[in-house]
Amino acid sequence: MKESLMEIVCCPMDKHDLELDADERDDGEIISGTLTCTDCGESYPIEDGIPNLLPPDMRDGA
Amino acid sequence: MRERYARIATEERAGDCCSTDDSCCSSAEATAPADETARKLGYSDAELSSVTEGANLGLGCGNPQAIASLDAGDSVLDLGSGAGFDCFLAAREVGDAGRVIGVDMTPEMVEKARENARENGTDNVEFRLGEIEHLPVADASVDVIISNCVVNLSPEKPQVFEEAFRVLRPGGRLAISDVVLTAEVPADVRADPESVASCVAGASTIDRLETMLAAAGFTSVDIAPKDDSEEVIRDWDDEYDVSEFLVAAAITARKPEVDGE
Repeated sequence: MKESLMEIVCCPMDKHDLELDADERDDGEIISGTLTCTDCGESYPIEDGIPNLLPPDMRDGA
Repeated sequence: MRERYARIATEERAGDCCSTDDSCCSSAEATAPADETARKLGYSDAELSSVTEGANLGLGCGNPQAIASLDAGDSVLDLGSGAGFDCFLAAREVGDAGRVIGVDMTPEMVEKARENARENGTDNVEFRLGEIEHLPVADASVDVIISNCVVNLSPEKPQVFEEAFRVLRPGGRLAISDVVLTAEVPADVRADPESVASCVAGASTIDRLETMLAAAGFTSVDIAPKDDSEEVIRDWDDEYDVSEFLVAAAITARKPEVDGE
């Protein structure tokens, strides 16, 4: 995902802002890392450039 | 349902609406290319050829009007973006000043969409895994929501419309295409577990959809059945003629400019 999209992503559960912790970047794009909700603390992985923002209970099937 | 779409995403054939033999709608059309179905739905040849092969899985019920109504610079959200076909077309309309975000709950679909974006060289499209009932999108952040034959699959449609309303900017609009019921679904179709994923048993009537949209806060709600969809819909299922109780419709609605609360 592009870092510029941080302004419009949010926690799917409580809609609070997410904080980005990037592990790998490539030309302005976040390839892997973690998005953490600033309110509930739930974390969402970014893998292969795709943020997984499924609700936690749906992530197991993913 | 998620498994079914995952299977379609990973099968290399960019087939028509569900090309596996065990699926609900493996029809006589099963060998027809997705592009042909898309053409029947009103997408132009220029649009079809502008998108990487494989992005059009032929799973939709047509959304060309919604895409045509986009303006340069719009921020667009596609609910249930699949392999990205409509997102790529939308990206052409909104241009570099705009952006398109596709949300889909099937990991294989999102991966495929991302690959397609790379092959297409599309820079203003982003895909993410997410659920349309729990959109990972900030309040009042998009201008237009598009969706092609997806909302009917949700068991929680009122929540989908509430979420859509939330993420739209005041004055923003919903322009989706979906199937709606024109008559009661026959009991044998309703009892068939495979038919849920073929856009059948989960669809709502126009009246019910209007009520849900109004309850979510939308105004200027318009649900217009597309008369020419019958030919495509009839081919969705080789056991039942679903066009007897199902029609594709263009669903449009607006979030009021000033919150009317």
